[in-house]
Amino acid sequence: MSFPETGLEARAWRAYEKGRLVRALAQSLSLAPLLAVALAGCSPTYVVISSAALLLAAVTVLRWRGEDWGRGVVPGITAGLLPLLFPVFARCGGHLCGAGACLFFPAACAVGGLAGGALLGALAPLPRAGHTLPFVIACTVAAMTGAVGCLFYGLIGPVVMAAGLAVGAVPLMAVRKA
Amino acid sequence: MKGRLDTDLQKMMVRLADGDRSALHPTFEMLWPLLRRFTARHLPHAEAEDATQESLVKIFRQAGRFDPARSAAAWALGIAGFEIRTARRRILRRREDYEAEKSLAAFPDSAKNPEEILLDRDLEETLLEVLGELRPQDVETLRLYARGERPTIAAATFRKRVERALGRLRSAWSSTHELP
Repeated sequence: MSFPETGLEARAWRAYEKGRLVRALAQSLSLAPLLAVALAGCSPTYVVISSAALLLAAVTVLRWRGEDWGRGVVPGITAGLLPLLFPVFARCGGHLCGAGACLFFPAACAVGGLAGGALLGALAPLPRAGHTLPFVIACTVAAMTGAVGCLFYGLIGPVVMAAGLAVGAVPLMAVRKA
Repeated sequence: MKGRLDTDLQKMMVRLADGDRSALHPTFEMLWPLLRRFTARHLPHAEAEDATQESLVKIFRQAGRFDPARSAAAWALGIAGFEIRTARRRILRRREDYEAEKSLAAFPDSAKNPEEILLDRDLEETLLEVLGELRPQDVETLRLYARGERPTIAAATFRKRVERALGRLRSAWSSTHELP
C-alpha cells in the first residue's frame, strides 16, 4: 500500500488549521455579550469597543495556537471579569461618572482587581521552571479583560486594577505552591 | 499490534486537540492505512479512495474538538462510516438515474409525453395510407425531398416535380378525410 500524495496531507493540515481558527473565533465571539456590559460603566464607548476588540483578537489567536498559549485564557478571562464588572455595579448603584478628582471608580477597579486576583491565584496554571507561559498568559488576559471596564480617567483605572490583581493572586499562589 | 496502534493514535489525537502541530504527520500516517482498509471493505476502489480522503480531511478539521475521553480510533472510524454511507447513497442514485435513462430511451422522442407520441404514430400511419394512393414517382419525389436529397436532374425540374407531388398529396389527403 502506497502513501498518498503530499497534496492530501497539505489539505488535511489546512483543514486542521481552519477548524481550530473557526472554533477559536466562535469561542471568542461568545464573550462579546459579557464584554458589552462594560458599556454601562463610565468608560467612553469607543474605548470599550476598541479594548474589547483587542482582547477578542488576542483570545482568538491564543486559543487557535493552543498548547501553553491557550491554557491561560479561561482562568485569565474569569479573573478579569470581576474588575470589569465592579465599576459597572458602582455606576448602577447610583454614583455618577465624574472627572479628574473622583476616586470612587478607580477604587472600584482596585477592589475588583483584588477579587479577580484571588480568582487568578486559585485558577491560573502555576508557573514552573521553564513553564511560565500559561501563567503569564493568564495574567495578561486578566489585565486586558479588566481594562475593558476600567479605562476611564486615563490609565489610573488599569494601573490600580493590575495592582489589585497582583495583591490578590500572590497569597493564593503561594499556598498552592507550598 | 492493534492495541499499540490504538494507544499511539489516542496519544496523537490528544496532542492534536491540544494544538501540538508536530502530531499532525504521525497521525496522518496512522490514519491513512486504517481508513483505507476500512473503506475498501465496503466500497469499490475509486469510491473507497474518495471516501478515505474526505474522511481524513473531516477528521483533521474536527481534531481541535476531539474529546480525550473518547476512543480516537472509534471516532475516526465513525466519521469514515458516515462517508461510506454517503458514497453508497451516491452510487445508488447513479444506478437509479441510469435505469431511468434506459427506460426513456425506448421512446423515440423523450421530450414528448405519451399522448403526443400516440398522436405522432397515428399521423404517420395516416400519411403512409395516403402515400399508398399516390403514383410511385410522386412517392419517390417526396421521399427525396423529405431527406433533403435531389436526383441528378435540374434543380428547377425537381422543384416542379415536388410542387406537383405535394399538390396530389394534399388532394389525396382531403379526399381520404372527406375534407372540403
